[in-house]
Amino acid sequence: MLHIPIFLIIIPVVSAIVIYIVKNKHVNYLALVAQAVMTVLAIVYFHHFYQDGAFQPQTFIIGLWDDVGIPIRTDGLSMSFVFLTLFSWWMVLLYTFNTKETDHDFVFFMLFLQGVFLGLLQTNDLFNMFVFVELTTIIVTILVAFNKTPKSFRAGLYYLLINTSGVLAFLIGIIFLYFTFGTINISVITAEMLAVAPTTAMRFTYVLLMAGISVKAALFPVFTWLPKAHGAARAGISALLSGLVVKGGLYLFIRINAMFAEAGYQYTDFFFVIGALTAIIGIVFAISQTDIKQMLAYSTVSQIGLIVVGLSSTDALVYSGGVLHIFNHALFKVLLFMAAGMLIKVYQTKYVTDMRGVMRSMPLLGIAMLFAMLSITGAPMFNGFISKSVIMYGFDTTDLRYWVLFVANIGTATLFVKMSQIFFGPKTFSLRFHNKLQDATLIVLSVMLIVFGNFYITIGQGFFGADFSDITLTLAKALEYIIILGVAYLLYRFLVRPDGQLVRRLRHFTLSFEVANYLFVTYLLVMMLYFVVWL
Amino acid sequence: MDPMLTFLVILIGMYGLSTSKNIIKSVFSVTIIESGVILLFLNLGNWRGGSIPIINGAADIIADPLPQALMITTIVIGSTVTALALMLCIKVFHHYGTVEWREILRRGEGK
Repeated sequence: MLHIPIFLIIIPVVSAIVIYIVKNKHVNYLALVAQAVMTVLAIVYFHHFYQDGAFQPQTFIIGLWDDVGIPIRTDGLSMSFVFLTLFSWWMVLLYTFNTKETDHDFVFFMLFLQGVFLGLLQTNDLFNMFVFVELTTIIVTILVAFNKTPKSFRAGLYYLLINTSGVLAFLIGIIFLYFTFGTINISVITAEMLAVAPTTAMRFTYVLLMAGISVKAALFPVFTWLPKAHGAARAGISALLSGLVVKGGLYLFIRINAMFAEAGYQYTDFFFVIGALTAIIGIVFAISQTDIKQMLAYSTVSQIGLIVVGLSSTDALVYSGGVLHIFNHALFKVLLFMAAGMLIKVYQTKYVTDMRGVMRSMPLLGIAMLFAMLSITGAPMFNGFISKSVIMYGFDTTDLRYWVLFVANIGTATLFVKMSQIFFGPKTFSLRFHNKLQDATLIVLSVMLIVFGNFYITIGQGFFGADFSDITLTLAKALEYIIILGVAYLLYRFLVRPDGQLVRRLRHFTLSFEVANYLFVTYLLVMMLYFVVWL
Repeated sequence: MDPMLTFLVILIGMYGLSTSKNIIKSVFSVTIIESGVILLFLNLGNWRGGSIPIINGAADIIADPLPQALMITTIVIGSTVTALALMLCIKVFHHYGTVEWREILRRGEGK
């Protein structure tokens, strides 16, 4: 029973290799079989160790020799991420499923990425964490460049180099941890953290680790790779990258901060500022775009900022709201990217200004997209409402921080008012989707949005041990949502739709690679000034 | 070799990364940082000047074997990254006809 985490890593990798070697007409079905086996194994594992209303953390050490080995540890958080991973991969595999000759390579990289990502979620060893993060970077680069267009090669290169430099900062941090503690086992380091926490070297280590993670998670000054990579990849890949792979960085954020919990560094204020800046700047860029995938990619940046705001809270409830938003965001962003991919295919354009009449031409797609948009803007009865309310729960209306988040919410609403213009207009196509699998994924994801929006109390207790029963739908909140939508419509009508010079300038704003790296070094220095000198 | 010197190597790489406008130079800068990190880890693992970590009863001081094992992995990953980056450089050069970051990022879809 304890071996199941290893199988979760090995099964996708082995079946990926088999698919790549065999390459015949039917072998792609092996991906679905592997996926089904993994899902069953994960459920059995979770069920077996689920006692007293919570998942009991399990540690398994590979190559056990005098307590030394490669540790794998699963707790409630990593198991919930494992289920999210399996679910997202199900959706994307079904969405992109095809038995064509050319798709073997694609399925190979997809499954391999899943194995690596599951490894990242379950490892308890810092160096393995580094290896898995770097492998994720390499495979994602290949997947981004998979379209073989000039734009995707450029985006892949940008992504690879900037992420590698971030991950190397992470590796330097690991080196310092190893020579301080004599081990790279996360549990051991967590237990012994208090003794060495006040030293300057340990603060320096924290800064290096966090700088690397910030690049992976696309926080404010170092997010420029994300819109490029997610805009250039295929629709299914973009869905996976935005929905899940970016969350790998946030998972590391949670883990490393938990590791330094005993040290008591005051990271919450710093990351609140970074998160709020990410949320607002991301959404400002998103509103100025007209390319549907760029809009969604910048919106991901903004939502990550919101999640970081939640995660960098001392209040346990707000913290679990941040974790919950990771899941909710994965659900609706996967749905939106998939729908965007279908729209681009049907309309043969990627500009929202050229798409009209979606609701009449493709009602199913239209309704699924509407659900996702309602969710992401925080409409009552949908899942986005719950996590946004939980994150806002910690702040009073007199607090400045509440209004910062409020502005970000208005921005999100404006973006989706702009995007929702594609629904209106006359029927332009008499074409219906014949791909039943893609329709099915849209339906499943829409249902999940509503399930997460209504059964959040059970889900919160089962996975995060958090009590969300304080969050209820009140008239004030419904009114607030209507006000936000009203302000967003006015903003759209008078600021965004005229497409003034400011909006156009923002749309074509791009950072060259060396400037992005310069920002990364500056970010590192600012963090050092704050954590090493100031605190 | 002093571990501090390896920091110099890392800083040189960082300087190159944040100033060079050429893709090939950026790839080299990443490689330089990586070499610096590997040297740092190996140096810290063997700062007393011990012998190779194969115990035959002769040496008093032996080097810590773990950094060496880990750095082999890092070298392998590093060479993969470099190979992939250079492959992408070739593709970018074929499509855009240049390896300057600014030129490439300014153009929309290439030639």
